[in-house]
Amino acid sequence: MDSLVVEGLGKCYSLVGESEQTVQRSLWQRLRSPFDGRANVEGDREFWALRDASFRVEPGTVLGVIGPNGAGKSTLLQILARVITPTTGRVVGEGRVVSLLELGAGFDPDLSARENILMNAAILGVTRAEAQRRIPEILAFAEVEQFVATPLKHYSSGMYLRLAFSVVINMNPRILLADEILAVGDAVFQERCQQKVAELAKEGLTVLFVSHDMDAILRICNRVMWLHKGSVRREGDPEEVVDDYQNAVWSQADIGSSERGRRSNRFAEILSVRLVSGTGKDLGGAPSSEDVFVKVRIRTRNSKLLLRCAMDLSAKGQLIFRATDEHVRELPEPGDYEALAKIPRNLLAELSYAVTISCTFKRANETKEYPLVVYNALSFIAYATQTPGAPSSGRLQRLGFIAPQLEWIVQREAGIGV
Amino acid sequence: MASSRLSGADGVVSATGAREIRHERWTIEPVRVGLVARVREFWRYRRILWFFAGRRIKERYESTTLGKFWLFARPLIPIVMSTVIFGRMLGIKSDGVPYFLFFLTGSSCWRLFDRSVIAATRSLDQSRGLIKKVYFPRLVAPIASTAPSFIEFGIMLTLTLLVGGYYYYHEGVIYLRLGFLALLAPVAAGLAILLALAVGFWTSVFQVRHKDVQLSIRYFLQFWQYATPVIYAHSSIPEKYRFLASLNPMTGVVELYKWSLLGVGEFPGRALVSSVAITLTILVTGAAYFNRAESASVDRL
Repeated sequence: MDSLVVEGLGKCYSLVGESEQTVQRSLWQRLRSPFDGRANVEGDREFWALRDASFRVEPGTVLGVIGPNGAGKSTLLQILARVITPTTGRVVGEGRVVSLLELGAGFDPDLSARENILMNAAILGVTRAEAQRRIPEILAFAEVEQFVATPLKHYSSGMYLRLAFSVVINMNPRILLADEILAVGDAVFQERCQQKVAELAKEGLTVLFVSHDMDAILRICNRVMWLHKGSVRREGDPEEVVDDYQNAVWSQADIGSSERGRRSNRFAEILSVRLVSGTGKDLGGAPSSEDVFVKVRIRTRNSKLLLRCAMDLSAKGQLIFRATDEHVRELPEPGDYEALAKIPRNLLAELSYAVTISCTFKRANETKEYPLVVYNALSFIAYATQTPGAPSSGRLQRLGFIAPQLEWIVQREAGIGV
Repeated sequence: MASSRLSGADGVVSATGAREIRHERWTIEPVRVGLVARVREFWRYRRILWFFAGRRIKERYESTTLGKFWLFARPLIPIVMSTVIFGRMLGIKSDGVPYFLFFLTGSSCWRLFDRSVIAATRSLDQSRGLIKKVYFPRLVAPIASTAPSFIEFGIMLTLTLLVGGYYYYHEGVIYLRLGFLALLAPVAAGLAILLALAVGFWTSVFQVRHKDVQLSIRYFLQFWQYATPVIYAHSSIPEKYRFLASLNPMTGVVELYKWSLLGVGEFPGRALVSSVAITLTILVTGAAYFNRAESASVDRL
């Protein structure tokens, strides 16, 4: 028996310019064309945040939900939490649904822990007596026993989080909806959360866990669903789906999708940014045992231009380094050029990286500079091809933003002792 | 250690609460939930009403330096001002009752309505944080938001009794009705709240879509107050306008309240019938509209 069956679920928003949406406008439209029902629809655009999503979840499944921003992950959770109503489809489920969607949602900072527990119990339909009985356990798990009567506004964010988790998990849930929140907080508590989730999953708790953190997904989930543009693209074994997802998403070298930055001025234009192998082949990911190149294609419109390129490499939203060309290059005549930056083998860790490219142009006889920047022009994942004999080389044990292969010297200490 | 204790407790719960908790199946569909089903659901969730109400009251009076002083000052200040202007300077007739007492009585009832409408109108916006995160029947929001008005009403009722006592002590006249008919006052107050909710169901949903509602509601209510016998007596309305006045559902309510507490004027039979009829109509249609439109409104919050 499935604990959750989702069939053809869809959510459509009509996008209306908020500023236009005043009484005046809708009244005016109604006055002008009182019988025309479409009057209001005219300016509206539709947006399907979720479209025809169907899946089933068995009790005890910890289902990871992944996908790029705007894929409908949050919409799905919101519908399941009954915060928003779907436009199409239906969901059939069993048992109490609890959600852990945002830190402190459903908590009142002015009330004490005790009162908040009772309020949440009321919202979740747990009887007062039952909730009263559970208060000690909840406080114990959250490790906030001595702060029962303290208003939550005086809690640290860690205490808040622990209490939030403890409250929902102790209300006898059958389905837990969680987002990144499960993967934040201090390491010790995270460990306990995940243990608790695993334990309850064994007793039949179903978890839907939305995250961008693939490590966390692989660590916690026993099934993964990949949402893409509002529908289910793939679903199955975590390793496989995550691999697929990362390859597909990160290999898109489409700079047209980069919204910020400036990719063209009157001297030149950045045509594309790609990841290529030593032989010039397009790559979706960077194998750690090979040198790879970030290739920037540039079209210039003037002669006698000077160019200096730079590339920012970031991972998990952190800038790791900026590599600037040490030379200023001369581009004597207009035409297409390519700039290649070599990323040496054995430098990158097993992560997804993003590349921002900037090219600064100058005319030979001027001092003014004309920069072009393409933010996140390229994203790719680096993966290990072989890690012979390396200690704890599993993908999850890797830490850090880069994993350069350093030269180690191990030798007998000279001189002293013996 | 902690976790094993917890799982033990879980076992107990599933054993005792198995009947209702474990096997409750639910569906989420685009199909609208009917009003009756919604009201039933609301009843199951009624406990959160108290938390919401407590929260609203706390918000109102918390972190004010003068604290309890405001409890009395807030309703009293406008009444004292109006007494000076309407009672003293304009000499408006008040059916033989001291104007201060007359106006205090009328406006307790009116304010209960007025404050509740304003609170209910803002309610969806105000609970946005919770509404967008957790599920509960949204009807709770406007209903709970009227709680602070009750407190204020209680205070004004107390004041009314005190002022009545004062006049007895000083002038030896009992203006307050002491019979059991005074018990009709709570009925009038109840009607005022129901009408406020009825209006609030409509305005709270409108307010999410059109912020204009929040801006204009105060003026609208002010106008409504002038159309209701609060600052003047019903008896001073010319005969030919009486019918018109009885179409205002608040006329009957305020008159009933004044009649039962002060014993002035006549029992507003006809006005009351129209009050009840109009209130029920707006209440039911309002709740139905609220129920239908709230989910679309939540999308916009």
